[in-house]
Amino acid sequence: MAKKNIAKPITLDPRGGRPRDKCVTHIEGIDRILNGGIPIGNIVLLAGTVGSGKTTLAMEFLINGAKAGEICCYISVTEPSSKMLSNLQTYGFFDESLVKEGKLNIFDLTVINDRLGVERLDGTYTSKDMEALLGAFEDIVDELGVTRLVIDSITAVCYQLPDKGSIRNFIFRLSQFLSTFGCTTMLISETVVDSNVQTYSIFGVEEAVADGVILMGNIIRQGDLLRSLQVVKMRGAKHSRARHLIELTPVGLAVVPLLKWGQDGGQAFT
Amino acid sequence: MSIKDTAKSIIQSINDGDTLTTVRISADSFHADTVKLAGVLLGKKLGGIYVTTSRPSSHIVTELEEAKVDLSDLYFVDLVSMTVGGSTGDPRTLYVESPTMLESILLNITLLERRLKSKRRFVMFDSVNGLSIYSEPRVLREFINVLGNSMRIKEIYSMLMTVKEQTSDELASALKLLSDKVIGD
Repeated sequence: MAKKNIAKPITLDPRGGRPRDKCVTHIEGIDRILNGGIPIGNIVLLAGTVGSGKTTLAMEFLINGAKAGEICCYISVTEPSSKMLSNLQTYGFFDESLVKEGKLNIFDLTVINDRLGVERLDGTYTSKDMEALLGAFEDIVDELGVTRLVIDSITAVCYQLPDKGSIRNFIFRLSQFLSTFGCTTMLISETVVDSNVQTYSIFGVEEAVADGVILMGNIIRQGDLLRSLQVVKMRGAKHSRARHLIELTPVGLAVVPLLKWGQDGGQAFT
Repeated sequence: MSIKDTAKSIIQSINDGDTLTTVRISADSFHADTVKLAGVLLGKKLGGIYVTTSRPSSHIVTELEEAKVDLSDLYFVDLVSMTVGGSTGDPRTLYVESPTMLESILLNITLLERRLKSKRRFVMFDSVNGLSIYSEPRVLREFINVLGNSMRIKEIYSMLMTVKEQTSDELASALKLLSDKVIGD
């Protein structure tokens, strides 16, 4: 029998090893970019400028998880949960029964703060408040069995922490217990553009502690605003680092690679 | 080449297993011939996506309806209507806000492709020249390259319609390199 002359398969991962189990986002294009999804238990900083689609992406991540039978939780920091719920009705992919069945849970941070008695007039948490808040988050995740969590936004929480050390400590502690519970988390980070450079966070601390950073922004092309997305970092996953264009469609977010030449001449992050 | 011969060549090309062709048509009859070609393919029970960059899709629908073509498996990606403030309510059409948003074309084709009922499918891109008004040649060449290869992967028979008199040698050469066949004089 003739010996078959077949090239040896290429080993794609020089590190070898076994890939981590993934939390599949079920968002068109995102799982392809992330090579199957977000490693389970990762804390991902979803950083972006205003209007770049952060909340929509995070919500679709939760809704898709809830549809797949997972318990998902959204903690609203910047707007009342009632307003968030009414905004959700405008998404074609939203199903109200997910909320009724307890698959999608929406919490208001001000309500949590009230119950914990940590609402301060000067808006700054003490270390005792921080402990209470972390304990409350842990209780929610543990008691409900949450596997997908979104905090919108971590920036608003960080504004209430006294210094960068506290921010680092808060996010580190948060990521520790979320990882233990296998809860995949998106922390929404509001960013700004300074001299055409987009930062990952306002305080410059969050990205160092997070397991992953997904950067979203607006690109100007001949006067038109285009939404872009780029995975900067994702621990435990081989992922694309190319910049992609995202669009909000009736069936949810869709992602396509951004044209390379189309990124030059008259374009900048905004 | 007459429109009848062009249609025959396209059918032959589909039967040959091609996936991407450039179709060159004279400016004198470009709009009428393009619509006729779409009608021929729909008549052969292919389902299709018509990408329009030079005329509102509502006009093309009217012409196809007048020709009594079955439109039950034809969808549109329209880059014109929103730009000029035309009607944007047709349920079989996805409208792109601006012709500079080239990536949206690919994205909308992907979305519409799922709605096609027919097994044999086509994309008619009318026209490459329409996009050259808004995009630099190097951006356009890159887009055509991405579009062509995306369609190849999807195995959807795709036709890049070009106006013969308006196509530069450089663009024609890029299209020739990318396509399985160039149909038309």
